[in-house]
Parts: sequence; structure tokens; C-alpha cells
Amino acid sequence: MRKTRARSFPVLMMTLAFFAGLVYFIVNLTVHSAEWSSIPWNAHLSDKSGLENAGMILDRNGIVLARSEDGKRIYNDDEDIRKACLHVVGDDGVNIATAIQTLYRSELSGYNFIWGLGSPDMVNESKDITLTIDSSVQKAAYQALGDRRGAVVVYNYKTGEVICMVSTPTYDPAEKPDDIETNDQYEGAYINRAVSASYPPGSTFKLVTAAAALENIEGVEKREYDCTGTDMVGGKEIICYEASGHIDFQEALMYSCNSYFARLAFELGKDRMTDQAEKMGFNTAIKFDGIETIKSTYDVSKATDNELAWSGVGQYTVLESPVNMAIRSAAIANGGTPVMPKLIKSGVSGVSTGNDSTAAGQMMSEGTADKLKNMMDYTVLNYYGKSSFSDSLDVCAKTGTAEVGEGQSAHAWVTGFTKDEDCPLAFSVIVENGDSGFRAAVPVAAQVLEAAEDAVSNRIS
Amino acid sequence: MKALLSFGDINELISFGIRIIEPLIALLIVSLSFISLRESRREEQALIVLENKKDGISYPVLYWENSIGRSRSSDIRINDPTVSRDHAVLLRRSEGWFVTDTGSKAGVFVNGNKTEGRCPVAVGDVITCGATSLILRRTADVEGKHTPVKERKYIPSPLILSFVTLYMSLLAVQAAINMENMTAVYPAVLFIALMWVFYTVSRAVFKRPNFELEALALLLSGTGIMMAAAHNEKQAYIQLAAVLLGIIIYYFMIWFIEIPDRVMKWHIAISVFALMLLASSIVFGSVQNGAKNWIVLGPLSVQPSEFAKIAYIFVGASTLDVLQTKKSLTEFIAVSAISVGLLIFMSDFGTAVIFFVTFLIIAFMRSGDVKTVALAITAAVLGALMMLNIKPYIADRFSAWGHVWEFADDKGYQQVNSLVYSASGGVFGVGLSKGCLQYLFASENDLVFGLMCEEIGCAMALLTAVVIGGFMLYARGVTTRSRSAFYSIAACSAAGLLVFQAALNIFGVVDILPLTGVTLPFVSYGGSSMAACWGLLAFIKAADERTYSFRQAKIKKRKRKVTYHDDYVEI
Repeated sequence: MRKTRARSFPVLMMTLAFFAGLVYFIVNLTVHSAEWSSIPWNAHLSDKSGLENAGMILDRNGIVLARSEDGKRIYNDDEDIRKACLHVVGDDGVNIATAIQTLYRSELSGYNFIWGLGSPDMVNESKDITLTIDSSVQKAAYQALGDRRGAVVVYNYKTGEVICMVSTPTYDPAEKPDDIETNDQYEGAYINRAVSASYPPGSTFKLVTAAAALENIEGVEKREYDCTGTDMVGGKEIICYEASGHIDFQEALMYSCNSYFARLAFELGKDRMTDQAEKMGFNTAIKFDGIETIKSTYDVSKATDNELAWSGVGQYTVLESPVNMAIRSAAIANGGTPVMPKLIKSGVSGVSTGNDSTAAGQMMSEGTADKLKNMMDYTVLNYYGKSSFSDSLDVCAKTGTAEVGEGQSAHAWVTGFTKDEDCPLAFSVIVENGDSGFRAAVPVAAQVLEAAEDAVSNRIS
Repeated sequence: MKALLSFGDINELISFGIRIIEPLIALLIVSLSFISLRESRREEQALIVLENKKDGISYPVLYWENSIGRSRSSDIRINDPTVSRDHAVLLRRSEGWFVTDTGSKAGVFVNGNKTEGRCPVAVGDVITCGATSLILRRTADVEGKHTPVKERKYIPSPLILSFVTLYMSLLAVQAAINMENMTAVYPAVLFIALMWVFYTVSRAVFKRPNFELEALALLLSGTGIMMAAAHNEKQAYIQLAAVLLGIIIYYFMIWFIEIPDRVMKWHIAISVFALMLLASSIVFGSVQNGAKNWIVLGPLSVQPSEFAKIAYIFVGASTLDVLQTKKSLTEFIAVSAISVGLLIFMSDFGTAVIFFVTFLIIAFMRSGDVKTVALAITAAVLGALMMLNIKPYIADRFSAWGHVWEFADDKGYQQVNSLVYSASGGVFGVGLSKGCLQYLFASENDLVFGLMCEEIGCAMALLTAVVIGGFMLYARGVTTRSRSAFYSIAACSAAGLLVFQAALNIFGVVDILPLTGVTLPFVSYGGSSMAACWGLLAFIKAADERTYSFRQAKIKKRKRKVTYHDDYVEI
């Protein structure tokens, strides 16, 4: 009988493996329970929106953006603020995939692993979430964009706090329009363009090409060039917006000379261009505060020489999200390494905003960052004009006007940052089909920065 | 400020409170049952003693079947070069003690006569193996070998059963509150009644001293019935009927395997029966859920493969006397290969794997032959690879395994839903009938673990899994205390089968293993499965010598025959 017992050992091992599997499942369930249960289609939440008794969402100054009362979700009193904050806060349903009410619905409604979603409401402890955004800046950005489609991202490049993130078209979450599915006016309204849309970056990409050149080509700042408005690079033509004449590196960025940067991209080659683009956030999906952003792409593996040259000025197949553009501007402002954005100021335990982000490493050397900073400063002072942005803030910027195909107006971009120690903001603005970065995007940026300056300095005083 | 609590709020609070208490009561039931099983088992003490004639050294005989030999693993180890490694087996049967030669070189002699086959021995007889002669003695006659029987610590079964009753009542109250009707209460009441009748019959008619295993199986079955009752009234009654059928099979099985010789006599007939059960699905079966393993008989659909499991373990474990020799496994291997082949032919891969693992357990426990097991595994792997080569779409069925979130809309749909709703349930669940997983296909059988996590909480779901694992630990604990190696092997393989099936079910749902669509023993909806689980439980019950002791004690009294039943439980 002893033998029989000894031979039952493998069965004992199987049973222990069974118990180990159960432990593994429980650990897995404990770790992922909040994530799993907050999936948008979870019927425990979506049957009744799951927000009847959810906690409040507040802006950085404690202004209530959303709260629940008598089983109903109530949003801010100001219609413009409601519309401006829609893509960050979310609506009753789960229409906006990246919104806080979608991603943190279970936390807001008091979810924890012990009680699950089944505990009675009176036992439930709903949580409030305080965001980093400023509702007045949101409103200013929404009003500046007006009826145009686009997105604005502004964040503090020292702390990572997102002051403003607005996307249009938008709608009023308190009164969701009935014709949202059919009316062209609302096409793509469910998408937060700041994080979930990517566009050709156009001339703003010259900052990436310039960074690659400064990192890789000795003495490139001193290179001079005669721009005649057109040039042959890689066997085909590169066309500039206008003939800039005799220019150096700094002036090439200022006048946004395509030929100059196309030549640099061609000279740097596919590997070094790809390497620099990837350092600056391309080809990886950035994630912060649980928000998975769309991947910005730079892929020249199949490009011809001429297409490689065009990629250096942000055309060809290059695509970038507004948030990525703001992050790389933040890197320039911050000595080469960006602080990643964050939207949640407090209220969600377990979401350590710093650790949850895919922390970007150094995007460029400090020297390169300083040179680009000075060039962007020079561009604003000598080309766009300081007053185009702000009289009181020292803004460094680069515009872009990205061609999007025949018969459509180009997308208008501007990205940059303020040099001010007490108001350190990085930003990017896109106005879809705005035709000109300078004429369409810069005024939006100026209005938003003005509001942001008030908001940030109010806080200080 | 909220006004006074409304009636609805109070109900909700009561239901919530009950959900918290339930797993605590269940934990109490499980702990008490296993403690009672452990504490009340027999001490390992000498039943009789063998005394070496030459040097007077006495060997205590601890088990019902004892190998005598020179090998280190022998129960009675004799250090004598003329004794074979596996020389003989000394067995206890209800008629008395016997010795059987297991192919020794020198042969076995009783009182100087060479033995052929099984030879009865009595106190004072001399068993000679090689140059060693052993005298059979009563334990009491040998000084220092007799230890008084320790008092066994039973936890009274009625107490445990009362807690199961309380647990079931709370589930019923919870269901009534949540569903706002009484449909789930009636099955609960019927089940509680069935439970007490079962206990009374077991105690009064069959004189079984203990009821812990049954109480645990009832806890699981009752939970399963309430899971069904909260979603589909009809299923609850089918489950109830299945439990009743299961209990009848349970008694029949325990009676049938009581006499090991009868088991031996019938085992070829039962092999044929097992194969016919499986083959019947192919001939008469209809395809349900992609596997052709159902037979529809009027209003009933039966899954013969579930019952084939019982017959299969019966066939595999029925080897007597010769347990210590490497008896050829040929017949059993043939039955196993045909069974697994038939199951694969029916596309019932989950059950095929269960049969295969059961085969490995039995083959190893019978022969101790690592080579056979290794060969079988190699053959199975090669066979599986060949299968996949011929029919690549089979692999497609399991392609979502390990990354179900990427296939959340098709192949991973069931698993992803189970995970999401398990997480929604928390530790105590959202309440019976309040879940969302119930609307999924096969939620009451394949996904029942997820459904439990969601509605009655992962604490309760885990506890059911622990009970099934506990069956195995218990079965292993009684391997040396059973009346024959047959019972030990049958118990270990039946419990091993239940554990493996539970693992396939639970880990399939939570994406640790591929989803194969097998049932969770005792809990999943499915009459055949439920009844068959009780049949398997009979093997575990039979391994506990106490199951039969009282009956035999009675026989002994009637016949006034001198035997050595000195450890019977007196109640």
C-alpha cells in the first residue's frame, strides 16, 4: 500500500498545480479588476450609465465639471465649458473612449475589488477626481476654435499638468443632439482629436529634421543656401512656399524653407531620420493616465530618395498627433527631455500619474535643445512677431501648413512653448483645413496662451 | 440628505449582508468537513503482526494489502537474499487473511505447503518466503505492539448539514429578494429536504458512520442548483432530479464495489460497457455545440461520455492481488486508446484530454512504470500534432488562448466576458440573478465559474474549487487506509479526474488554459455530468474503510466467525 501511496505523488502535484493556478487567477483578478470591470461595454455600468452615484469631476481650481444628483449626471452650468470639456470629461454613455468618465468610471462609481460593482449605493464610497485642466482656458480654446475642426493641447512642461485639451467638433453632454449620427456638423465628434487623431505635421516636423541634423552633422548651423523656391532633391523637385534667397540654418527654419530641410533629410538618410523621429515619440503609442493615444508614424522604409526628402518637411506619409507635437516641443523647452503630460491631479489612488505614463527618454541633447529653442525664439521675434502671440509671454514657436491633397485646404499647425519660468507652457494647435499655420493656428494659440497665463498666474497670486 | 430608507433599500441591504455571510458559512462547512475527515481516520497501527521465526523480530502489518519482499518499497521488508524483491502479498478480506505469491523465485509456503494462488492464513500459521519464516500473530498477543484505539474526533454530521441548510436558505432568501419572486425558493426547499432524507437513509439504513464527503458534494450541488434556479427554473429542477439520480448511482456504486472479487469478475463486461457508451454517442448521437456527444431520448438529452468516465475508472483500477507486480497494462491501454479515439472522433476534445490524464494516473499508479507513461505522452503529442496537420481548423478553435483580449469579439468573447464580469462581482458578488454573464451562451455550464464569481463572488467560487482539490488531498490521505489497492487507485483517479476537469473548466474560462467546454464538477448545469460526478464520488467514499466497516461488523456478529476486525468503529 505504501507503493500505491508513493505512486499517487504525481496526482498530488497536479492538485498543487491546480491550487497554484487558482492563486495565479486571484492575483491576476486583484491586479486587473479595476481595468477589466471598467471596460466600456460592461453592462453593469452601461445599462444605467453607471454614473448615477458617481463622484465629481473637478477642474484644477475645484470647479465642478460633472457631478451626480438624484441618480442623474449633471455637468457644469456653462454650456461652453461643457462643450469644451466634453472630450476630457466624457458624457453619460461611453461614447468618448479616452474620456475620464469612460476610463475611470468604476473608480468614480466607487469600485474596489472587495465589493465589486454589486454593493448597494448607500454603502458605496464614490470617489471624486480632480483634473489638471482649467475650465476657463478650455472655454477660451473652444471659443477660439469656433466652428472649425481642430484641437488644442497646452501643458506645463515642468510639472506635466495639462492645462487645456480641447477638440472640435464637440457637443453638449447635458443635451446630446439627436442628429449626432447623421449631421455632418458632428462628424467625428466622439473623437478627442488631441490624442486620438493624427495628421501630416508639415513644417512643424522641420524641428525633428533640424534636431537630427544638429545631433549628426558637425557645423550644420553654419551651412548657407540659396533658395530659389525650388530645388531637385533625390531626382525630383522640392517646392518651397516662396523663394527665401540666401539663408543660413536659423533663417531656413524661420522662413520654413522646404528645400533646405529636404536636402538635410536626404543627406541624413533613412536610418538617422527614423532614429531621431522615434526618439521624438514617433512609432510608439504614448500612454498617460490610462489614456492610450494614437501612434504617430514616421516610416520611410519604402520611400524613394525624393520621398525621403519630403518626409523631412513633414509630408510624404508622416502623421503626428497634437499631443505628441506638444510633448516634443516640451522636450525642446525642457533641455531635451520632456516631462510627460498628465490629466489627473488627484483622486484616483493606484494611478500614479508619473509611473503610468510611458515615460519618454531623452529626445535630444541639451545643446541641441538650446539651439532649437533659440531658433524658435528668433523665428517668433523676427518673423511671426512677438505680438502675434503675447505681449507678456516669451513664446518660441514653429508653424506648419500641411498639404492634405488636391481640393482641400492645408491643415494649419503651430507648436511651441513659453520661456517664462513662472508660466512654463508647451502647446500645439491644429486647425483642420485652416489653410495657413500663421493665419489660422497662431491666433488660436495666442488666445489660449493669454487665458492660460491668467489662469496660471492667478493660481500663483 | 437621503430620506428614510425605502423598502427597496432595506431589501438591497439584506441581500448584500447575506452575500457577505454566505461564503463565511461555506468556509465553516468546508473546514469542519475536512477537519472531521482528517481527525476521524484510522491511526496507522498494526492489524496483526508477523514474527520472524529465526530472530523473533516482529513486523507490524499496517494495511489491508501488504507487499512482502526485499525491495525498499515493500510494506513488509525482509532483509534476506533468498526473498524476492516482490515476493508475496498479504491481504485482508472480510473472510480473513490471505497470502498470494506474486511471482517469487522461491515460492510461498504456508505451514510447509507450497501455495497456489490465494491461500487463507490464520493466527499461528507460518508463512515461509525463501529462508525466512513468519508467524502470524494477533497484535494483542505481541507485547508492545498493541496501542489502544484512539478516540476519533468526529464533528457531528447533523451539525455540518445544518450549516449547509443555513447556507442554502440564505441563497434562497437572497434569490427571492433579488428576483422579487419565489421561483428559486422551491428548488432550495426541495434540495434541503432531499439532503436530510439522504442523510437519514445513509445513517439509518446503510449505517454509514460519516457524512462529510456527501456534505461537501451537497454544498457544491446546492450551489449549482441555486445558480440554475436564479436564471432558469426548469434547469434547477433538472439538476435536482440529477442529484437524486446521482445519489442512487452513488449508493449502487458503493454497494457494487464493496467486494473486490466481484469487481474483478465484472471488469471485462464493464470495459465493453464503457466502450459501448462512448460508441453509442457516435451511432445515435446528435451534434450539440460542435461536439457529437449527446443522445436525445424523447425529452431527455443524455451525455453517455459522462457515465463512461465511471466505467472507465472502474476498468482501470480493477486489478487485484497483483498490484505489486508489473502486470501488463495491455488490456487497459487498448480500452483507453479506443475511448480517447472515439471522443476525438466526436470532437469532444475536452473529455478526450480528461480520459487521457485519467489514463496516465491509473497507468502510473498500477504499474509505477515511468516508461509506459512517457510513451503514452509521446504518442499523445505525436497524435495531436498529426491531428493538427490533417485538420488545422482544430487549432483555430483554441487560437485565442493566452490573448483573449485581442479576440474579444469572436474567439475570446466568452473568456473576456467572464473576466470582466468576474471583476465586476468582487469578493461577494453582485447577487444571484443580478449578473450579466447569464445572458451568454453556455454561461450555466462552461462559464459557470465566471457566473459564480459575478453573482455570488469570487470567494465562494474559489471555495468550490478548493473543495474539489480537497477531494483529491483526501483521496490521497486514505490510500494506505483503504481495503485494497483497487480502492486507493480508483479514489485517486476519480479525484484526479475531478480536479483535472475542474482545472480545464476554471482555467479555460479565465484564459489560463484553452477553453474546452467541459463542465465544472457538481456545479455546472447538466444532468449527466451531475449524476456522473456523484458516481465518481463513490470511488472516493469507498476508499475509506469505514464505509464498509459497520456492515461487516454486523456480518461478523451474525456469523460468529473468528476474524481480526479489531479496528471497527463502534458507534
